[in-house]
Amino acid sequence: MGKEQILVGLEVGTAKVCVVVAEARDDLLKILAVGEIPSSGVRKGEIVDFDNAKECVREALSIAEDRGDVQIENVFLGVTGGHVQSFNYRGRADIPQDRDEIEEQDLEDVEANAREVSLPPSNTILHTVTQHYYVDGQEGVVNPVGMSGHRLEADFHVIHGVATRIQNPIRCVKELNLEVEDVVLSGLASALVVLDHSDKKMGALVIDMGAGTTDYIVYNDGVVKQSGVLAVGGDHVTNDIAMGLRIPSQRAGRLKEEEGNALLGNSLPGETIVLRDEPGFAGREIERETLNTIIHLRLRETFEFLKRRLEKEPFLHYAGAGVFLTGGCSLLPGIGSLAEEVFGMPVTLTHAQNVSGITSAFQNPRYSAAIGLVKYGQAVAGDRGGPSFIETITRLFRGRAGRNA
Amino acid sequence: MISLEPETLARIDRMEPVEFRVIGVGGAGANVLDRAVLDGFAKERLAVVNTDVQSLSASVALDKLQIGREVTRGLGAGGDPDLGEEAAIESEAELSKAVEGVPLVFVVAGLGGGTGSGAAPLIARKAREAGALTVALVTLPFSFEGRRRADQAEAALERLEACCHSVVCFENDRMGETVSARAGVHEAFAATDRLISEAIRAIAGIVGRPGLIRIGLDELLAALRHRGARCLFGFGESGGDNRVHDAFAEALRSPLLDRGRMLADASAVVVSLSGGPDLRLAEIEGAMGEFGRHINDRTQLLLGLGVDPAQAGRVSVAILSSVGAPVAAPVAAPERAPAPAPVAAAPSPPRRKRPPAIAREPLAPPPAPSPEPEPEEPVLPEAIGAEAGSDESPAPAPLAAALSLDPAPLAPVPPAPRVPPPAKSSEKAAPARQEEMQFEPISRGRFEKSEPTLEGGQDLDVPTFLRRNFRIR
Repeated sequence: MGKEQILVGLEVGTAKVCVVVAEARDDLLKILAVGEIPSSGVRKGEIVDFDNAKECVREALSIAEDRGDVQIENVFLGVTGGHVQSFNYRGRADIPQDRDEIEEQDLEDVEANAREVSLPPSNTILHTVTQHYYVDGQEGVVNPVGMSGHRLEADFHVIHGVATRIQNPIRCVKELNLEVEDVVLSGLASALVVLDHSDKKMGALVIDMGAGTTDYIVYNDGVVKQSGVLAVGGDHVTNDIAMGLRIPSQRAGRLKEEEGNALLGNSLPGETIVLRDEPGFAGREIERETLNTIIHLRLRETFEFLKRRLEKEPFLHYAGAGVFLTGGCSLLPGIGSLAEEVFGMPVTLTHAQNVSGITSAFQNPRYSAAIGLVKYGQAVAGDRGGPSFIETITRLFRGRAGRNA
Repeated sequence: MISLEPETLARIDRMEPVEFRVIGVGGAGANVLDRAVLDGFAKERLAVVNTDVQSLSASVALDKLQIGREVTRGLGAGGDPDLGEEAAIESEAELSKAVEGVPLVFVVAGLGGGTGSGAAPLIARKAREAGALTVALVTLPFSFEGRRRADQAEAALERLEACCHSVVCFENDRMGETVSARAGVHEAFAATDRLISEAIRAIAGIVGRPGLIRIGLDELLAALRHRGARCLFGFGESGGDNRVHDAFAEALRSPLLDRGRMLADASAVVVSLSGGPDLRLAEIEGAMGEFGRHINDRTQLLLGLGVDPAQAGRVSVAILSSVGAPVAAPVAAPERAPAPAPVAAAPSPPRRKRPPAIAREPLAPPPAPSPEPEPEEPVLPEAIGAEAGSDESPAPAPLAAALSLDPAPLAPVPPAPRVPPPAKSSEKAAPARQEEMQFEPISRGRFEKSEPTLEGGQDLDVPTFLRRNFRIR
């Protein structure tokens, strides 16, 4: 019976700033409170107006603290943005001759070796996700600690981004007198809660399509093989509608949510939608099919660009469990079918799995990333008095051994 | 994303730097050479050719050749290319001597007037006959200089294209973009001259420098060569922390690249990177990755990499390319009347009227850039996932066209391909492209404060329906 921990995830998103307070006990995760506020000052997943964004974060934290009856002191911070890139890399460490067994320290050395890989000067590493270990060339090693060998190698998936752009949300949090426990790529966080271990094993593509960005993660055989961020999201759909129909942005957003459909041919010929008069906006009538076409073109293009990026590597081909679509945009009617058409694979519209607590929170795809942050926190925090750090992280990202990683 | 194999880097090319000569023809040509000397070109490589003795004597080049002594009596060709040509014919022997014995010859001239337009083509032909790789760099007159000069320039351009391996054009109209609005006229001209001299250096460098990664000559020429094409050139140089990135940024700012937008249309882009021994692989990879966003996935990217001890601490980048209707590209024109669509290349675009004067015997026209690397219309940035060959239905309904993302190239048009200089016969199915409406005036709306999302040469912040030419009624 482990002790329970309170973990907090903070997502400074483009549509909303969201704080999730959860209780972690052993493998269980229970959502206690969610503090949310419409975001202002964030575009395409990144802060463009610092003061505004900071106020939103302050507010969201306050709401979460009230609802959860907790005092928040540190958070797991989600980051994203078009500048994030990734690649696979093999790190290496040689075990000194006088020693026969591989130790914990060696694993850390291998990882350190991987982190020394050359990055563009402006970039910094966000994650080095362990994929596989090799001992003296032997493949398929799960946990090399204790094994005999002299050469230890490991494949890593290295995720990196522009340092200054990652600093912004961190600074925001620090200025509110909070500690940043860790910085996590939002897409990775989503993947952690949206996939169960058999999905990871079979291989899967997770797409978290939010307002600002579309984050994607590909798992193959239980490990992360490919990831990235395309800075196109729901805001682009809204913007397209606003410009196409010449209506104010806010109205366009509502129209998208209330009437939008990603598929074509679903309306009767000449079917129209009546937009009522409002202050500052004279009423109009628009064709439903026109609205849907604007949406369709944008979403289809986004999926196609995504597919193009993914096809630069072979991993999508091995995503046996198919595509898992989450994030606010996944709520748009028809988007699942559209994604199926583009990717030619089964698409599951999904949300955070295997969590308990406030149902309305975890059953909503908009919160996948934020909930994923606490999931990540659960694994990381588990190293205090639990299995080793490396082991936990490895298990978490690989979803192995029957645990709910 | 370019990945540079360590083995590739380890291979050092032992070729000698190539010998080249620059011939400045006419007044404008002489100005460029004077500028080049300031920029450190060895004077021995430069020669000025002119009918006007006054201009010749003022030049700093060592080698000066007066042509057409009898024809013009030292007074210049008076803006008449026929006179310029006669002068060149009169001095043919001397011109031949001036261009022989070197493997690479650059002919630099300002087109539109007399000597440059008249003599440059002949000089280029001589160089070609002497077996040299011949590259012409020319300026085209301002629009305000009038129809006649423009016509003369075009005629000369056509003749040059027939006998040069490659022609790089600099439009004077764009000169304003090379300097700030408040700069003096002198500065503006000087900036253009500098650009040309950098282009020469870059091309000579690509061709001859012992490089770690060499670009094949034929690849370079194929990249630069398109009939009736606009050549693009950008140059940047920098030191400091983020030097490769900064050098690229400067190069992309070149007006000749239209801030990088024109690259999206190019079928091949040549990037020549040069740095000191301290140049790091990571720097290059990072910058090339970013640069990759400015070009189409189908664009062939040729990277030349050289290390020059003299450049320690600094990095320079030259970007060369061309866009334009390729020779005989078999493309079915999507019939969207209002939409600016590059139509199948007619044998000759409107401005290429063959001037009657060409009775002279041919140089066999240089080998057309045969099978372009990609079979379809290279300048047409095709829709995502569009396959080669666009023999699909020119769908009548705009929507169907907008949706046919699959073979029919649904031109997601990037905002700024420019119209070739004054379209004369601008009627109907003109093979030249119509001017695109610039998107600058339209606000970026929600994306005002953030940097554009560039992917595959397109700005994704621009609504998809606009880029796909879907019309909203």
